Amino acid sequence: MTALERHYRRLLSAYPRAYRRAHGDELLDVLLESAAPGRRVPPLKEAWGLLVGGVRSRITHQATGSAWEDGLHLGVTAVAAVNLAALLPYAGALPLWTLLSALALLAILRGHLRAAFPLTFVTGVKAVGLAAGRQPFDVTLLPVHPNPLADRALFQDSDPALVAAGYAIVLIGLVVLTSLRRPVRARSWWWWAAVVPAAWAGPEWMAQETDYPISLSRLAVEAAAFGLGTVAAYSARDLRWALASSIYLLMVSGGLVLHADALTRQHLAYAGILLLLAAAAAFAPFRQRRHCLD
Amino acid sequence: MYFVLTALRAGPLHGHAISKSIRELSWGRVQPSVGTLYGILERLNERGMITVDREETVNGRSRRYFRITPEGQTLLEAEAMRMQEAAALVLRPSGA
Repeated sequence: MTALERHYRRLLSAYPRAYRRAHGDELLDVLLESAAPGRRVPPLKEAWGLLVGGVRSRITHQATGSAWEDGLHLGVTAVAAVNLAALLPYAGALPLWTLLSALALLAILRGHLRAAFPLTFVTGVKAVGLAAGRQPFDVTLLPVHPNPLADRALFQDSDPALVAAGYAIVLIGLVVLTSLRRPVRARSWWWWAAVVPAAWAGPEWMAQETDYPISLSRLAVEAAAFGLGTVAAYSARDLRWALASSIYLLMVSGGLVLHADALTRQHLAYAGILLLLAAAAAFAPFRQRRHCLD
Repeated sequence: MYFVLTALRAGPLHGHAISKSIRELSWGRVQPSVGTLYGILERLNERGMITVDREETVNGRSRRYFRITPEGQTLLEAEAMRMQEAAALVLRPSGA
């Protein structure tokens, strides 16, 4: 295998696995046939074309099946990831509950919704109990101190109602999806990569004394996810990403409303960015067509 | 899209031949990357403007030959007509 072929094979991984399996060799054949003799590195134009083509192909692949079922599953996945992120900095003190929360997310990601329900339910009861200062299932020494990911005790500033809302959204979504008795798609493993920055309390950008801190890393990962959703909605003219963003915004707005008296400019900027991206995802599918393939 | 359909009017072609044909038809002005070309081919195929005529294996790799469908031909002619009318607005003798 030549260096050029190796580079092209790496770039082709931007395409979904099913597409690569069916047509990867065909694209590679054309790429190598079009290459100038002695070339070792792909031209920038070809590399960019493969990356954009791969992302577009992934979006097209995602935008199949029922938009509202898939959008609901996507929204539920995002909220379940945040539920896990809330426990992750306290995994040392709560290994069992963090593990159960991770298993709930795993079950949701792989589409095992019936298994996800009890896992989410028991983790939710424990989390809401701890937020309310109660001890369901087992005894936990309070306050629960964090590992280096966070700088505050577990649920130090969280309202139990807000913790309950996060789990309720996931549970209601799971009930709806399970009642349809149709399989849902398995989701990307990249969701695990989003959990750590969502759990991290840094870098600081809000005043230390705020009652409702939102980390810059969390804003970055949420804005990136919402931004990807907007691009996908624009490209595929599909509303599933707007639905998922709206479900996630339900949880975010609950937190902002509960802390309405302590909101700062940064909170408003945070809410504004997510709201703007969610609105863009909702309107993008209705954009004017430029040509027959648009 | 326009050049891809125009290239396929000559008969079924595979990806590399389509790319070469586009370059010739556009006098070298249009040279889509392979990723862009296959994105267009997949979308045209999904919308029934082109179809896979046959598959061949060359050097151990499968190669699809695409051909234009009657719907694609109609669309291409409509697009050509639209462009001709648009060009006529500018190019026809003044006062005509």
